[in-house]
Amino acid sequence: MKILSMIIFSVREAILRGTLIFYFAVGNLIILFVALAVNASPDGSSIVVLGNPIPAKSLMGVSPVDFILIQLQRSSASAIMFLGIFAIAGIIPSMLEKGTAELFLSKPLSRTTLFLSRAIGSTVAIGLNILYFAVAIWLIFGVKIGVWHWGFLLSALMVVVAFAFYYSVVALVSLVTRSQALAIMLGFLFWFLAGALESRQAGLYNLWSNDIYRRTLDVIYYVTPQVSGMLQNATRLIGMNPYDRMLGPQAVSDFSIMPFVFSLLSASAIYALASWYFSRQDY
Amino acid sequence: MSSENNISLSPSSICHYLTKYSFFGYLACRLMTIVETRALSKTFRSGLIRSSRVEALKAVDLSVTRGEIFGLLGPNGAGKTTFVKILLSIAYPTSGDAQVFGHKLGAIHIRKKSGYLPENHRYPPFLTGLQTLLLFGGLHGLKGPSLMQKARSLLERVGLKDWMNVKIKRYSKGMLQRLGMAQALLNNPELLFLDEPTDGVDPVGRKEIRDVLKDLRAQGATIFLNSHLLSEVELICDRVAILDKGQVLRVGTISDITAPQLEYEIQVVTPLPQRLVDSIGLVAKNVRAEGKLLHVAVPDTRALNQVIDLLRRDGIFIETLTAKRASLEDYFIQVLKSGEAT
Ligand SMILES: Nc1ncnc2c1ncn2[C@@H]1O[C@H](COP(=O)(O)OP(=O)(O)OP(=O)(O)O)[C@@H](O)[C@H]1O
Ligand SMILES: [Mg+2]
Repeated sequence: MKILSMIIFSVREAILRGTLIFYFAVGNLIILFVALAVNASPDGSSIVVLGNPIPAKSLMGVSPVDFILIQLQRSSASAIMFLGIFAIAGIIPSMLEKGTAELFLSKPLSRTTLFLSRAIGSTVAIGLNILYFAVAIWLIFGVKIGVWHWGFLLSALMVVVAFAFYYSVVALVSLVTRSQALAIMLGFLFWFLAGALESRQAGLYNLWSNDIYRRTLDVIYYVTPQVSGMLQNATRLIGMNPYDRMLGPQAVSDFSIMPFVFSLLSASAIYALASWYFSRQDY
Repeated sequence: MSSENNISLSPSSICHYLTKYSFFGYLACRLMTIVETRALSKTFRSGLIRSSRVEALKAVDLSVTRGEIFGLLGPNGAGKTTFVKILLSIAYPTSGDAQVFGHKLGAIHIRKKSGYLPENHRYPPFLTGLQTLLLFGGLHGLKGPSLMQKARSLLERVGLKDWMNVKIKRYSKGMLQRLGMAQALLNNPELLFLDEPTDGVDPVGRKEIRDVLKDLRAQGATIFLNSHLLSEVELICDRVAILDKGQVLRVGTISDITAPQLEYEIQVVTPLPQRLVDSIGLVAKNVRAEGKLLHVAVPDTRALNQVIDLLRRDGIFIETLTAKRASLEDYFIQVLKSGEAT
């Protein structure tokens, strides 16, 4: 199938970018370290890291396995969000370079197909990396400790979904500017903005006690992909999150699907807008 | 000098006669027309603040007949590339419209049956030549062993057999051009657009590309060629159009364009008497005698032989006869100059 050829090609191009190779290499080192360092205690009641038994209730009330998995998941998710942008902000511009655009656009595929297969390919490349790391860690904990933590796998899957939604913003910017550098910069800017919007009640709200200003922040929060919200909730799938604890006793710790639902809507709208824009441009 | 510019039975000339003499001929011709544009115009606007406008095409009417090699000539910035891009929906027209294979612009069908070698084409540098063809073949919907076989045979045909497993970033310019040619032929196109196909290719490679084009024409493909290399266009094109500043200045067969200007230099052994020069002036034009050298311009070979007869009847010995045919290049420059004057 034509679209499949394009997706496979895009995955290949993304995977060959230096930063993803770096992620993959570092990921493997971590996997190796975890495989060697983490063991079950002889009586099977607790786990031992580098020879030190971890007492069951010392970690802010979180079980040791959950605690370690949450740390691993958070760091791998942050790393992939960070490195991933470098790897794939250039995927769409590289298709639109002078001399290359003509080749792709003269093939019998619609522009929407071309654009979406680039976006899907990028997401698959990132997704393969995330899932590879997660499955390896999951297997280690299952085989060595006997904990088959399905929430951890599901959480990795949700990080992939979060990335796909976040990537809509990067894809749109890189399509319009045709510049990898701008897409990276605006991608990060959006990421920080999304973080600030997530906790706007505690931060941005206090900058100006104007109602219109606050409602505007709310609107922006709901019409853009909720990156921080999605990542936080993905972590909650693993277990009681110690960071939620720190927010205070009333902090909600249950997984909520809503950030994913809102982000699905806004990412779909952004992808649709980008396809529409692309189908009208001269190259 | 090529022999092709005598009386030609090119598809376009057949079409011309069909249209002239019958209604059914006209219909048949409509079926034979593969590209037809009507008042196709393109204005590029750029810059938000100090906006600039470039009229790349101004009401271009052109038609290309099935089976011909059509050359679009013009100086840099004439709009040749823009014209092709619009036909393939890589850019969109500002006004006017066009049909390719009888489909309206934008139909995916057009791209399905066309091949395109863009100017300054660039391939993903991390692929090898073979992988590149497999990718673009895949985008045409080809797959499996038949795609592999097609890719390999095309690489062989363009002389890249030994390079097919080498990464493209190591290719030379001419090798890239050959790869581009192979890429454009993946889907056995009925209509092939080539933008400066011989750019950067060595003379042997040029000849090979011309041979490939002639083969394709023999198999019934239509070829649309953008070029500045007039001597080359002359060698293969059935018909040409001259485009300048977005406007079509002339359209015609090469022989239509250059035949009225066949010029010869005849070197004779003895000086020519004025009486003889005068009588030669009755069958030839631009007759000039400079000592033992005679310049004539004749409409065809028959008139040239009449001149020779006159000389021989007077007992004049001819030493050499040199053709000074006005080349397409002379004509091109002349048309562009007169285009500027108007
Ligand atoms: N994307 C674009 N934006 C703005 N102007 C453009 C664009 N593409 C082409 N032009 C302008 O349109 C005109 C025609 O360009 P085009 O590339 O079609 O010329 P060309 O005949 O192919 O020239 P060459 O022989 O140098 O390849 C030029 O003046 C060019 O500057
Ligand atoms: Mg050009």
